[in-house]
Amino acid sequence: MKTLKRFAEKHGYLFSILCVIIATTLFSPGRDYFAKGQWAFLYLLIVGLVAGFAGVKPALLTAILAFFTWNFFFLPPYNTFRIHDPKDWLSLFVFLVVAVEMGMQTGRMREHEAEARAHEREMSMLNQFSAHLVSDAPVADIAKLMMSQVMEMTHADSAAVYLADVEGKLYELLSVTNDDIPMEKSVNQIAEWAYKQSKAVGLPKIEKRSDPSVVGWPISATFDQAGAEKERKDLFIPLQTAEKIEGILYIGPKTNGHSYCFSDVRPLIAMANQATAFFERKRLQSVAVRAEALIEANKLKSTLISSVSHELKTPIASIMATISNLTTEDMKWDAVAFQQELASVQDDLDRLTNSINALLNLSRLESEDWKPKMEWFDLADVIWAAVSKIPQKQRSRIEVNLPNELPMVRVDLMQIASALENLLINSLTYGPQDVPVKLGASEEDEYCRIWVEDKGPGIAPDERERIFEKFYRGKSSSRFSSGTGLGLAVSREIVHYHGGRIWVEDAIPHGARFVISLPIEKEPQLQ
Amino acid sequence: MSAPERKIKILVVDDEVQIRRALKAILTARKYEVILAENGEEAIDSAIDSIPDLLILDMALPGIKGIDVCRELRNWYKGPILMLSVISDDYEKAIALDMGADDYLTKPFSTTELLARIRALLRRVTPDAIVQPVINAGDLTIDIAKRIVTRDGKDIELTRMEFDILAYLAQNADRVITSKMLLEKIWGPEYAEDAQTLRVHISHLRKKIEPQPSSPRFILTETGVGFRFSLS
Repeated sequence: MKTLKRFAEKHGYLFSILCVIIATTLFSPGRDYFAKGQWAFLYLLIVGLVAGFAGVKPALLTAILAFFTWNFFFLPPYNTFRIHDPKDWLSLFVFLVVAVEMGMQTGRMREHEAEARAHEREMSMLNQFSAHLVSDAPVADIAKLMMSQVMEMTHADSAAVYLADVEGKLYELLSVTNDDIPMEKSVNQIAEWAYKQSKAVGLPKIEKRSDPSVVGWPISATFDQAGAEKERKDLFIPLQTAEKIEGILYIGPKTNGHSYCFSDVRPLIAMANQATAFFERKRLQSVAVRAEALIEANKLKSTLISSVSHELKTPIASIMATISNLTTEDMKWDAVAFQQELASVQDDLDRLTNSINALLNLSRLESEDWKPKMEWFDLADVIWAAVSKIPQKQRSRIEVNLPNELPMVRVDLMQIASALENLLINSLTYGPQDVPVKLGASEEDEYCRIWVEDKGPGIAPDERERIFEKFYRGKSSSRFSSGTGLGLAVSREIVHYHGGRIWVEDAIPHGARFVISLPIEKEPQLQ
Repeated sequence: MSAPERKIKILVVDDEVQIRRALKAILTARKYEVILAENGEEAIDSAIDSIPDLLILDMALPGIKGIDVCRELRNWYKGPILMLSVISDDYEKAIALDMGADDYLTKPFSTTELLARIRALLRRVTPDAIVQPVINAGDLTIDIAKRIVTRDGKDIELTRMEFDILAYLAQNADRVITSKMLLEKIWGPEYAEDAQTLRVHISHLRKKIEPQPSSPRFILTETGVGFRFSLS
């Protein structure tokens, strides 16, 4: 039945002729059993059949053919077009009129039905498509989906989506061709042209521009570059919003070589319009994200500047006060007091050194060359590198307790060392001042741990995540004025980059224990 | 009565007036004779004029860079050169040592550190020329000629590579030896960049000779630069 239908649709007239021949062959042996007029009804049936399968025009042909064959084979005298009975003339013409009318009606009905079905298909496809647009799918996924649906809908041999970048330059986002035949080069040029002119290329002529289904269509145009005179069989549809053109949807020629007609183009435009809204939203989103990031970066910078300038100014002010006190002419200092004052100057200088190092690390972290360079290092070397960065006086408070042997690790030494340095500075600053800060390490099966432990009050459970955030200062740290609020955040960033973890837990019996855990890989073989 | 001892001459090259002033104060107080230079050109001239016993050279000089001054001087100057650097240029430190500098000191440094380095460098001037056949460092004994290493009288078995590394470091005790120098010396110039392999060997070596390999006392790491063998 399906093959019959497809055959009827494709070769309507042939189908019509065949139907009449077959019907006549079947009918003619029985022409003496029925009255001559009754055969007309059977022929009407054939007209209806053809109209239903093949449409109006083949039905009309059937009506005319039936008119002649009925006359020739069934109206006496048989096998001639002559007619004896004048009443037969009347019935013959009535038959023609009825057959034509019936063929037209049935054929139209069929066409409407087919149109309705196609429309329904388009609608469901569009609905499906728009459902995807609501989701937060990436632009490339939507473009891909659109192209596959367009190709399915129109039987095009290729499709492509061009989008404008931030600078307004058009680039090919994605393209698909059947059988991987590369697309014509001219396609890119025409897309460029269509984009610059905000014009569609290759759309069929629209008769009435007032037609409601035409409102919002891009202006129709044909590409008429010198040398490219032939009518194009492909389409370039601008993805256009009220104010801006987002890109171009390209649809290659149909596989059957036909041109695109009005009914093909309507759903394409609808789909393009939907997609345009999506692309616009995505573009605005990325613009907004960029602006937000910029604001965030500026905020970060100003916070950093104020926090760092505070960090630098305080010790300098304190040094100046001490020195000017010491150099006051009318004061007599005994040696012990003098030494004490100088020791406090040294403390301040250590603090300054810490801040400047932190600043250097941070500026390196911000510049591109702070990409971790993973190499094999003795974990002990990493730990000692961090310890050696702490100014002498504070360093003496660190109590290092390492197992006899430590593994080799594949890390960026400078980065992990500064992550650890930050933990040390943190504990030295916020822990109680006159007790040692403990530094330890251990090796497990697949990872190693380095920890820094103070004897302070510890970190409240609800703060354990937040202290690793930028500029977050622990509640208990409010009594200290120092610290940029960046150390732990930087450490976390570095450790995560190395595929490790960083956290804080309770020390036993009390205090905070900061732990860095790093994965251990198999040590390289030596030749 | 011995003849009055000749003062030791130190040439200080730094473009920052504060550092020059501080170094001059510290060193003259310790009875060294101090000559000052502000830039590379001046440094080379002063070195030719006065032939100092030791040179303290800042790496970040305007005009001719410290490293280039070092290279230039090494054509004829045999005395020790101590480089001054800031914390961020480990890479340049290594280059400076490869160019012939003997040691470096990172700013900011303490007076104690500076004086210790100067004394170590001056001490080394003479015995350097003689190759010692046996080197003792605490309970560790390295017999270069017989290729035997013992600790507390017990033999330690080392691979050929490990022994060569240890021997070279020990013969240059208290000096920073860059990874490049070690690699070139032991593996050959084509291996000069393979610092990772060297670190793995050093790690194995430490596990054999150090009482506590995670806190080494003989083979010390100079982060980003190289290694230093400590006799004490």
